[in-house]
Amino acid sequence: MTNRYFSLEEFQALFSDRFASQEEMLREYAFFLSVLDQLEVAPVPELSAWEKEEIFRRSWREPSYESSRLWTWFAFLRRPAVTFALGIVLGCVLMSAVTGNRLELVRPAAADQPLTVEHMGYTQAYRGTIIDGLYPQIEDPRIVLEGGDQSAPKRVLYGTINNGEIDVVWNL
Amino acid sequence: MWMNRHDSVSDEALIEEIRRGDRDAAACLYHRHINRVHRICHRIVSDRSEVADCVQEVWLKVFRSLGRFRREESFVAWLNSIAVNTSTDYWRRRKRHRDRVAIEDAQPESLPSNDPIGGQRLDDMLVHRRIQQVLEQVSVKQRTALILRYLEGMPLPEIARVLGCREGTVRTHIHRCLLFLRAKLAGKRKQ
Repeated sequence: MTNRYFSLEEFQALFSDRFASQEEMLREYAFFLSVLDQLEVAPVPELSAWEKEEIFRRSWREPSYESSRLWTWFAFLRRPAVTFALGIVLGCVLMSAVTGNRLELVRPAAADQPLTVEHMGYTQAYRGTIIDGLYPQIEDPRIVLEGGDQSAPKRVLYGTINNGEIDVVWNL
Repeated sequence: MWMNRHDSVSDEALIEEIRRGDRDAAACLYHRHINRVHRICHRIVSDRSEVADCVQEVWLKVFRSLGRFRREESFVAWLNSIAVNTSTDYWRRRKRHRDRVAIEDAQPESLPSNDPIGGQRLDDMLVHRRIQQVLEQVSVKQRTALILRYLEGMPLPEIARVLGCREGTVRTHIHRCLLFLRAKLAGKRKQ
């Protein structure tokens, strides 16, 4: 008996430059062929009819469409690009929650607007042309309300004078 | 012998019926492929006491994940892949825990050595056991590639898909496995 799948061509392809002569190659081929024949002729004991029925009885269960749909979603979410994008979104949400800031997805208001409000946790900063008009002698004035929910929030005016040389912090 | 109305139906049609919960279709598909699955498991696991469990695990996986089987792929290739991967897992687990089997355990007492036919069978059995022992020393991928190619006759592209590597890697696995066999069996095999 000779192995049906172990052809001489396949053997030559596997060991193309290994043998010095044709005789040596054929000798080696015969050796491997005999080894594979030994493995091939070894009997594989068959399962009895009872064993087959028992294996089927234990393994049969109706496939679930629900689980297949869930699996499809799970497979989609496991794709690297999707996982990466979800990770970034989740990171942004977590960061926002930790720092207490709302996500600012719009550009900050222009400086020449009448009044803009910046929310930063428990403080709110008011700036704009109205505030500029109230304190014309102060450069870049802004009023910061600190204290959030307290009944009497602390109001502080921040700004500079003399071309930024002197900082102004004034409790209103 | 298992015979029913599904015998002439293709695997793909059977799978559609199994998805609708048809137990007879499942039994037909099972009986159609059980011998091949068992042979693959037996050749890779090579421990009779564990082969039945391994085969059962293969079919558990098959029936559990038939919903995920895609029409465009071959069922036999998909089944082979589950059988091979389950068997290699069993093999790895067994390799970690098994005791060394001595060559004397080949049960020669049932074969009279003075009988020429029995003597030849004993000789073949010992040689076969020796080859098996050597095969157990190579890596599971090399061993599996050799078994699938030359004992199961699987084409290289299918082996590559089952093992999750390239065709060139499969060739390398087979090449190294054969070289290892050659080195270990040199002078011990009848030419």
